[in-house]
Amino acid sequence: MTILAGTAPIVTLDRARVVVRRGVIISGVALLGIAVVVVLALGFTPVEARQGLAQKIFYLHVPSAWCTLLAFSLVGIAGGLYLWLEDPRLDRFAAASAEVGVAFATVMLTTGPIWAKPIWGTWWTWDARLTLTLFLFFLFVGYLALRAAVHDRHERARFSAVVGIMGLLLVPFVHLSVYLFRTLHPQPIVLKPSEPSLPWEMLRTLLISTAMFTLLYIGYVTIRYGIALAADAREERDVG
Amino acid sequence: MSAEPPANGGYMVAAYVVAGAILLGYFLSLARRAKQVLRKQ
Amino acid sequence: MPEWIRLALVIAAKDVRAELRSKTALLSATVFASLVLVIFNFARDPTALSATDLAPSALWVTFAFAAMVAMNRSFTVEREHGALDGLLLAPVPSSALFAGKLLANLAFVAAVEAVALPLFVLFFNVDLSRALPGIIGTAALATIGFVAVGTIFGAMAVRTRFAELMLPVLLLPFMVPPLIGAVQVTSRLLAARPLSEMMGWLRLLAVYDVVFVTLAALAFAFVVEE
Repeated sequence: MTILAGTAPIVTLDRARVVVRRGVIISGVALLGIAVVVVLALGFTPVEARQGLAQKIFYLHVPSAWCTLLAFSLVGIAGGLYLWLEDPRLDRFAAASAEVGVAFATVMLTTGPIWAKPIWGTWWTWDARLTLTLFLFFLFVGYLALRAAVHDRHERARFSAVVGIMGLLLVPFVHLSVYLFRTLHPQPIVLKPSEPSLPWEMLRTLLISTAMFTLLYIGYVTIRYGIALAADAREERDVG
Repeated sequence: MSAEPPANGGYMVAAYVVAGAILLGYFLSLARRAKQVLRKQ
Repeated sequence: MPEWIRLALVIAAKDVRAELRSKTALLSATVFASLVLVIFNFARDPTALSATDLAPSALWVTFAFAAMVAMNRSFTVEREHGALDGLLLAPVPSSALFAGKLLANLAFVAAVEAVALPLFVLFFNVDLSRALPGIIGTAALATIGFVAVGTIFGAMAVRTRFAELMLPVLLLPFMVPPLIGAVQVTSRLLAARPLSEMMGWLRLLAVYDVVFVTLAALAFAFVVEE
């Protein structure tokens, strides 16, 4: 009996290894893709006349904002599905997406101020995108802190799922509040970076960058999922 | 206005370096943790 | 009256009675509220920022943090006396448990707000003669929303190691939309602006309440299940 019980976790550890390897390859490709995007953005995309070179931060800033939102939405959706289906894979995925989301949120929240300073003269602006991402960052951090503080796997999964869904439903309210606030308190008219009528080369670079960032999200989540899989496999083997 | 675009290339470099550091740093952190949890026991 | 409502009232009454006996949550929250108001007053430059400009924010920051202190204490007290487990063993539907806890928390927070408001009038010298009903209404509207979220998060936080820290960390993002709305409405009320200027914010508060009270009530079952 003990011999048979011993074989199952080893298979899962091997599967974790496969998953991690796959994730590393995807991430590697994505990172190379982003390197290509950097070359594209710096060498083969026109310079924006009013903003100068700093505008090129846009090609990193916007895709990372998109990935943050994607990561967070999936945390919420996976949480909701977990409460319904109780499949541990959903919880593992949610944990992975949350951690990866923090990484992209950090990129967004650092490139944002670095871009804002030369363009708007201030490090921080309470514009809709930055403010929302800041919120997502805090929600992510709370989510991960809660996960770290709950030891029982099933309780941790349930609690995280609840926070995830509630967080996801909070997003429209934050967005609406910021929007209402800003329409009532008009901010100084500023250079509106990007937004409609982008020249074709800029749009092209932006889209390729977004695709590469999304691929990187997939790669990172795959690795992180593999790590969670391995950790669960270990726990099962040590307990069983 | 036919003025020159502002000379703010330094910010661009800073942002690209920071972003790269975060993304690469996270990748390395993931790789290290994966190696640790997958070690043969 | 339906069984679960009766159960909810019983649970709420138990909590409130326990708190009235020990008085710790109310006391700490009241002291906290007073301190915040005093600090706000000394932290501003009277020549730069008039009391009326600062007042709505000062009031709502006070309400928000005092509410968190009150909600934190209510769950920790119960944990210390092991009463929560006893409660879970009894065949109480989670909806009744949630409603009971929510009512008790609302009672605590309302009590703290009722104490903080006169202090606020005193320290900030505001004239509430016409704005009072509106302020009370707004306070009720905003408070229900974040207390509902605080009730369910409190139930989770109390099972973790750093419960006192976990509740604020989880709850603060959720307090922002009701706080923004409440401050906007309060400042307009104090300036005697027409109702039409506040409708958007009031609608936001109302929708937030409906969504999050419902969500918290539904999700509570997943938090207390064994």
